[in-house]
Amino acid sequence: MNASVPGVGTSWGWLHEESAARRLAEEAVGRALEGGASYVDARLVELEEERLYWNLNGDPDLRREHTVGIGVRVLLHGKWGFASRSMDADGFHLEAAATALVMADASPAGDAAMWSALPARSGHFATPLTTDPFTVPMREKQDLLDTLLDVARREPEIVAAVAGLNAKRQRRFFASSEGSWQVQELVECGGLYQAWAFLDGELQRRSYPNSFHGNTGGSGWEYVMGLQLETEAPRVVDEARALVRAPRCPAGTADVIIGPAMVALQIHESCGHALELDRILGDEAGFAGTSFIGPDARGRLRYGSGAVNVVADPTGMGARGSFGFDDEGQPARREMLIQEGVVRNFLSSRETAARQGLESTSAMRADGWQYMPLCFSTHVALLPGTGTLVELMERMGDGYYLDMDRSWSIDEQRLNFQFGTEVAYEVRKGVRGRLLRNASYGGITPEFWGSVEQVAGPEEFRVFGLPCGKGEPKQWGFVSHGAAPMLVRGVRMGVAG
Amino acid sequence: MSSSSTDLRGEDFLLGSAVNALREMPGGGAVFVTSRRGEYTRFAGQRIHQPQAIDEVQLMANAFGPGGQARVATSRLQAARWAGAEAAELARTMRTSSAVPPPLAPPAQVQGVTQTWHDSSRAFDAGTRGALAGLALAAAARVGAIANGMFSSVVTELAVANTAGLRRYVRATEVSLSILVRKGAGSGFRADLGRDARALGPELMIEEALRDALATENPQEVAAGTFDVVLGPLAVGDMLSFFHALGFSGDDLRNGSGAVARRRGEMVAAPEVCVRDDANDPTGLPIPFDFEGVDKARVAMLDRGRVADAVTDLATARALGVGSSGHAHIGREQAPGPIPANLIMEPGTASEADLIRGIERGVYISRFHYTRMIDPEKSSFTGVTRDASFRIQDGKLGEALKQSRFSEEVFGVLARVDGLGRNLVSQPLMNVWNGSASAPAIRVRGFHLGFR
Repeated sequence: MNASVPGVGTSWGWLHEESAARRLAEEAVGRALEGGASYVDARLVELEEERLYWNLNGDPDLRREHTVGIGVRVLLHGKWGFASRSMDADGFHLEAAATALVMADASPAGDAAMWSALPARSGHFATPLTTDPFTVPMREKQDLLDTLLDVARREPEIVAAVAGLNAKRQRRFFASSEGSWQVQELVECGGLYQAWAFLDGELQRRSYPNSFHGNTGGSGWEYVMGLQLETEAPRVVDEARALVRAPRCPAGTADVIIGPAMVALQIHESCGHALELDRILGDEAGFAGTSFIGPDARGRLRYGSGAVNVVADPTGMGARGSFGFDDEGQPARREMLIQEGVVRNFLSSRETAARQGLESTSAMRADGWQYMPLCFSTHVALLPGTGTLVELMERMGDGYYLDMDRSWSIDEQRLNFQFGTEVAYEVRKGVRGRLLRNASYGGITPEFWGSVEQVAGPEEFRVFGLPCGKGEPKQWGFVSHGAAPMLVRGVRMGVAG
Repeated sequence: MSSSSTDLRGEDFLLGSAVNALREMPGGGAVFVTSRRGEYTRFAGQRIHQPQAIDEVQLMANAFGPGGQARVATSRLQAARWAGAEAAELARTMRTSSAVPPPLAPPAQVQGVTQTWHDSSRAFDAGTRGALAGLALAAAARVGAIANGMFSSVVTELAVANTAGLRRYVRATEVSLSILVRKGAGSGFRADLGRDARALGPELMIEEALRDALATENPQEVAAGTFDVVLGPLAVGDMLSFFHALGFSGDDLRNGSGAVARRRGEMVAAPEVCVRDDANDPTGLPIPFDFEGVDKARVAMLDRGRVADAVTDLATARALGVGSSGHAHIGREQAPGPIPANLIMEPGTASEADLIRGIERGVYISRFHYTRMIDPEKSSFTGVTRDASFRIQDGKLGEALKQSRFSEEVFGVLARVDGLGRNLVSQPLMNVWNGSASAPAIRVRGFHLGFR
C-alpha cells in the first residue's frame, strides 16, 4: 500500500485535491447520518477513459469519456437505499445522500440487512506504473494504429480489421460512517488487433491478444508496449487467411488442451460468476441468474479435479482486477476459492458473507460512482501446475488445441456451457498439426473441470483483463483472470457455424 | 415519492450545455446530451434489497478538425466548454486521409408525433413500486415460492445541437417491469416496458409468473431433438437483438457484409414475418430522433420474409448515397455507428393458446438466456432456454421441462414460422441506449434442442 497517491494533486479532472474530496464525501455521510441512517458509505469517483479504435472501413474512433460524481449507500432501519448524482451542481453530494434515505424509507418492511460494524479502514493505493498512458503523445498512438491497419490493408481477403488502444485513469475516494477514508488512484491500459478474412462465403476472425475487447492490464503504457502488437499483426492476418481455407473441426468427444485466453473466459463464466455469493444467495436471480453452487459448498463441493486450484487475488499488481480496497471499503485480500478441486470460499461482500457467517472476501465492486456495488470477480486465476505447452501436448497424444473465444454461452446457473473458439489445431502423437476452423466445445461445469488432468506451469501463465456486465440497471465490471493452458480429457466437441 | 431523484434537467439546461460546448469547437461539430434519472426497485427473497436512484448523464462533443473528428464526453455538464475545447484539441491531432468534413444534420427537422411523456408513469413512484414489490413477495411467500424482480421508473432526456444550427430536445417517461417467481426447480418470468405505465399490467404479470412457477416445480429433462415449438414473446424479442449483428446496419452494408449487403430481396423468413425498426410506433420506447438529431425513420428489415433494408447514421448514409434513417448510436466500449434500437416484429392474430393448439407434439419455450451469435454470415446462434418450458401434447401444455441448450439459425427459425401471436411484449436491448425489442409469440416447425 503506497503512502502517497501520485495522481492526486496532478492537474486532470476536478477531484485533484484530496482534502476537497474528503470534505464532500464526509459531508454526504454526515447528511445521511443526520437523516437516521445507521450505516453510510459514500464513493466519490472521477474517471476518464481514452479510446482509439481504428478500423479498415470506417471513421477512426478517438474518444475521451470523463465522468465524476458520487454514489451514497445507506442503511436505514435495516433497509438499504442507494442514490447517485453527477458532480453537476452545488450540493450534489447532499442531494445524493438525501435521496438514498428516501429510497430506503420507501421500501416496505422485509428481512433486515445483516450488518455488523467493523473498525475503520483507511489508506491509499495507487497502480504502480512507469509511463502514464495519458502522457504518451497522441501521434505515437495513432502511428501505431496506422501501422497495424496497413498490415491488414495489404491482403485483399481481409475485409475488416480493427486496431485499438484503450486507457483509463480514475480516482476513487471512499468515506464511511465507520470512519474509513480511502484514496485509490487506478490506471489501466491495453490494446486489441483483429482481422476478418472472407473467402467463398466463409468469414473468419483472428484476434490478438484476446478477442473480447483485447487485453488490458492494471499498469502503465509499458504494458501496451509489452504486447508487441506490431510484431504480432502479420501473424494475426496470416491466421485469419488460413482459417477461411481450413477444414472444419470435427464434432465428437476428444481430449483437448485449452489455451490460456480461452481458459480465462472459462474461469470467468463458470467459476467467477458461479462463486459470486450474491448469485448463490439468490439476490441476482431476477436477471443474471443464480449458481449451481450452494451456500453450503465450502469444503464440501467437488468443483473440479485435484489439478484445479483457483485463487482470488486483487493484491497482485499489474492486473485489471487489482485494487487496494473494494467498493465497500474492504482491503484487498488473497483468498483460495477452489483448492485441489474443492470449493473453499466465495466472492463475497460484507452482507452476503455475514448471511453465511463469514468474512467478506473483498469482492464488492461498482463501475464508477453511478451504480450500487455488487459481487464481481476481482483478479481470479487458475493457479499454474507444471510443464510447458509442448509437454502438455506430448502428454495428451491425440486431440486438439483450442484457444480464444468466438462465441460463449452458459445457463443461468453457470452449469451448461458452450464455447466456440477462433482456432483449433489438430494434435497427433503430441505434435501440433493442421489448423481447423469453427470448433466449439461444451459441457457441464463440474464434470468439465473434473476432467482437467493437468494445468501447464508458470512459464505458460498469462493474465487477461476483460469487461463484464451485471446488475439492473446493467453496470460494467472490469476484472482479470490468470490462466495457463490446461489438458482436459473427454470433452464434447461440436460444430460452431 | 422522491420527487427530486427523477427530476428533469430540462431543455434549457441541456441545450444550453450543448451550445456551450459548440462554442469551443471552431472547426465545427455536434454535441448531444443524454440524461437518464431512474429509480429502480429491485427485490429478492423477502425484501427490497436494491432500491436505487441512479443518475446517468453524459454530454458528448464531437469536434471536427482538418484531419478528422474526435469526441470528448463528460458527466459534468458545468464542464461543457471544457469538453468542447478538449474535443477540438484532440481533433487537431487527427491525420486521416479524408478531406471531406463529417456530415451534420440540417436544422430543419420535423419533430416526431409519437407521445413520449406520460404523467401516469411519473406516478409510478417509489411508494407504488415498493407496494407492488411487497405484493409479489407476499404472494410468492404464501405458496412457498420466492419472488425476484425489478420495477423501475425512468425519465430520459436527449438534447442535440450542431454547428449547422440544429437544436433539438425530447423528454420521455419509461416504466419497466420484470418479475421472476421460483419454486423448487421451477420458475416463471414476465417482463414488459413502455412509456406509459397505464399500458402495463404488473398485477397480472405477478399472477402469471406465480402460476408458471407452480406449474414447473418438478421439471423433466428433455431429450435432444428437433421439435415443433411455440416461442414466447420474450424469446422472439431476444432473437431480434441479433439483427444488428446479422447485417441490418449501414456499416455492414457499406463494408459489403451481412444480410442486406449479400441477400437483399432474398426470402429468408416465412412470408408472415415482418421486422422493422420503428421509433415512431408507440410500442416499446419511441423517440423522435437520434444522437445526431436526425428524425427516426421507419426501416423495414424483413418485409414479408424478404431481406429489405438497413438502418443508417449520417456517415454510413453518405457513404451509401442515401439519407440517414436516424439510427446513430455510440456507447461505452462500443464503436460509433448505426444500430437498430426500436425493433418490432409485426404481430399476427392468434392467441398463444391458438398457437399451442396447432402442435401435436412439441415444446413451449417462454424465453432464452445468454444467447450469442456464433456466425453472423450463417445467422447461427446458441443459448439456453430459461424459466417456464413445457411439453406440448395434442395441442395442450403438458409436463414442465428443464432448461436446455439449443443451437439454431435466426433465419432458419424465422423461415419455419407458421403462426404469430397477436400480443406484443417489449424488452430492453442490452447495451443500446433507449433500445427495445417488441415481439409476439411465434410457432416454429422444427427447432433443435440440445448441443450440436
